[in-house]
Amino acid sequence: MPRLTPLISALTLLFIVEGCSDNGTPALTEATPEETSATAASNETASTPRTAGFSAARNAYFGDLHVHTMYSFDAFIFGTTSSPDDAYEFAKGGMITHPAGFDMQLQVPLDFYGVTDHATYIGVLRAMADPGSPVSQHPVAEGMDRLGGALERGAKFQEILAFLLTPEAAEVNDPAIRRSAWADIIAAANRHNDPGNFTAFIGYEYTARAPDRGNLHRNVIFRGDSAPDLPLSRTDTMNPEDLWDWMDANREQGFESLAIPHNSNGSNGHMFALTDMSGRPLDDAYSDQRMRNEPLVEITQVKGTSDTHPALSPNDEWADFEIMPLRIASTLYSEPNGSYVRQAFLNGLKLQAEQGFNPFKFGVIGSSDSHNATYAGEEHDYWSKVGLRDSNGILRGSVPTPEPSATGERYVDTYFDTWSAAGLAGVWAEENTRESIYDAFRRKETFGTSGTRMKVRFFGGYNLPDVDDANMLENAYAGGVPMGGDLIGATGQAPSFIAWIAKDPNSAALERLQIIKGWVENGETREEVYDVACSGGPVDPETHRCPDNGARVDISDCSITDGVGTAELRASWQDPDFNPDQHAFYYVRGLENPTCRWSTWDAIRAGVEPHPDLYPTIQERVWSSPIWVTPAQ
Amino acid sequence: MASGGILKQPLLWFAIIGLLLFIADSQLSNNRSEIIIDAALRDRLGTLWTTQTGLIASEAELDALTESWLREEVMYQEALRLGLDQEDSIVRRRLVQKLGFIAESEPLPDPEIADLEYFYQENIEDYTLPLRYSFQQKYFQAMDAAENALAQIIGGMPAENVGETSMLNQSYAYRSALDLNATFGAGFADRIANLSNGIWDGPIQSGFGYHLIFISAIHPEQVTPLQAIPEQVLQDFQRARQLQARDSYIDNLLDEYEIIMETQ
Repeated sequence: MPRLTPLISALTLLFIVEGCSDNGTPALTEATPEETSATAASNETASTPRTAGFSAARNAYFGDLHVHTMYSFDAFIFGTTSSPDDAYEFAKGGMITHPAGFDMQLQVPLDFYGVTDHATYIGVLRAMADPGSPVSQHPVAEGMDRLGGALERGAKFQEILAFLLTPEAAEVNDPAIRRSAWADIIAAANRHNDPGNFTAFIGYEYTARAPDRGNLHRNVIFRGDSAPDLPLSRTDTMNPEDLWDWMDANREQGFESLAIPHNSNGSNGHMFALTDMSGRPLDDAYSDQRMRNEPLVEITQVKGTSDTHPALSPNDEWADFEIMPLRIASTLYSEPNGSYVRQAFLNGLKLQAEQGFNPFKFGVIGSSDSHNATYAGEEHDYWSKVGLRDSNGILRGSVPTPEPSATGERYVDTYFDTWSAAGLAGVWAEENTRESIYDAFRRKETFGTSGTRMKVRFFGGYNLPDVDDANMLENAYAGGVPMGGDLIGATGQAPSFIAWIAKDPNSAALERLQIIKGWVENGETREEVYDVACSGGPVDPETHRCPDNGARVDISDCSITDGVGTAELRASWQDPDFNPDQHAFYYVRGLENPTCRWSTWDAIRAGVEPHPDLYPTIQERVWSSPIWVTPAQ
Repeated sequence: MASGGILKQPLLWFAIIGLLLFIADSQLSNNRSEIIIDAALRDRLGTLWTTQTGLIASEAELDALTESWLREEVMYQEALRLGLDQEDSIVRRRLVQKLGFIAESEPLPDPEIADLEYFYQENIEDYTLPLRYSFQQKYFQAMDAAENALAQIIGGMPAENVGETSMLNQSYAYRSALDLNATFGAGFADRIANLSNGIWDGPIQSGFGYHLIFISAIHPEQVTPLQAIPEQVLQDFQRARQLQARDSYIDNLLDEYEIIMETQ
């Protein structure tokens, strides 16, 4: 780019001259009085001018912070040749062709987006297919330039994966290639970042794992427009605590970042273990460092939902939702204990109550983990996650194979059928800029959805307005804390909560609004799900459950009951079982009426019955970050 | 995989190398081909070593690199002589790819300002903000409630007294069709286009329910001037040129060939 600078200067100069002879230039950023008037008294950083959409009461923005492009070693083998630039264009509403040949385009563009390629061997596999690059001469590169169909790609992936675990892998890990890929990723994010309209974050995935293949993956997201020379990868260290050291050191250098763990469900108990990586019990210092670097966790994505597991939450009727039972990239069972977010919240409370620190005080987001440089797609139009490997119903186990297998199986043997057309990140931020959205991440004023664009507001406090108050939002921010915040219990008093959800205008109506409470009682962790507003009638005060609203799905064509459910649900709520001496957290879960799961849509399109072993429908949902209540003493 | 396994058998390699050396020896004994090892070659091998390892190659390492290069080179030359590159899909694919990389990486001259202006005009729709609306809205779950409220407003009731609470804003500024469909659901932009300007009108349906709308302004399409976005236009221009260069490179090549379509 440097050589272009003189031309740009010449251009600018020329137009300044022209502009003077002209009647000036049209103002591109006209003030938008209706919106800027909502800003009230703002003491925000006055150094940067506000963008047009600014609102002091904060806007909901939707994004995906987990996307792989051609620079990821696995995505490239899966057939993805789209670049970070292509991915950001896609997020803004552009079209990308899937490696299998169909077009992918969002019905509604995203507000923010982060390309997060695997740091390990970043760009290297792509270079193997480029005859101009030295690594293309390496024996393991054999065949990289003519990868075939799904099965061959799967086989080559396993072969490369095995090779990358050997000491010889260093032979292909050319730092020049990695530097060039990383520089392009940074440049693409900066090219596409458009304050006020679209936020592009610089990021990458740190893909470590435990020796038993328990997943320890994190996405690292940078706040600014620059990043260290090379991202820290699993070849540098398999210990996430080293990642936090690296992030701390970089913060000193001015590179502010946060790490977002994902697929705790596939961690075999490692992600939220009660010991550190060397097996010692957790302590204050561990907690401080983890919270400084990991304020958020990914609660849902294509490889399943990590809210909770039926074995951990036996009294939560909605716990069995998009459960992916395996360790990542393996067929080994993943132990639920230590692998799910709600249990981590509970264990964090217990540590707080007993030892005075909480290393698991996360806000939540969703994201896709698409390896197609795009997004997951939707239930009725699921695009696959791993390129050519799961690009149609037969490959992902939702549609029978043309002929039964030798052992009489009708469906391919795959875990892709446990995957989910899922994952969006939501934030409440003043405006669509890197700074504003990143600060919302830090505040944990975030939420996750299973893919639809439901919105959730959640406030807690001792001075909250009425839920129908004309200035409800302003007063709620003034008199309480939003999701992600902390409340110190006033002596003897139960705090109030305002929970509010709105539907996705392009998806099904809402069924119910819930508050999930966790607390510590006599040294034991406890949880309870309260329905707090229903579309089908009042909540039963005994069972804390909504009546059935009558919404049904016709599996033969995926049509849903008309006129059932609502556009919004909201409630003022006080915990009927509040105990001022207990540590507690509260978060919102909002449920849509049931709709067809992607596997059912696949079957309908193929003209076959849905797979009998898969759930035919799902209830799309939104999760807020918690509000934590700490006793006054 | 099976072929990869065989290729990894050292014995097989020894056999092949032996055979090739035997053939080479018998062929070259009267008319020996030359393989030149000069300083430039050693430099190249040294640089490659440095890129791969990050280390400077020692003299001994350079000797070893040169030796292994020589052994590879002689096999390569012999393979070419035997025509092993013919009809090989890997070789074919690599050569095509390589030429493609060359065609794309030809340095392009900086454009003249006039070229850029022409390109900008030709692609003006990419640099035009679409028509946008500024409006107020009142939300109702039910159609008849919205109709009743409109009748009340027409009868003199202030608009701020009607409408149900929702997460939607009371007013929106500068919203394009894309923004409207994103916020209110598919089809909303088409419906708002039929409403009158400057009065409360509707109701129109959204993904949430029904809305009365007061359009305060319709902002026509607006062209972003070139001087506001010179870098973006230049980038687009260069990307377009690169694709063009590749296409015309292939077209030029095609001109050099006579293409014979054989029909039955």
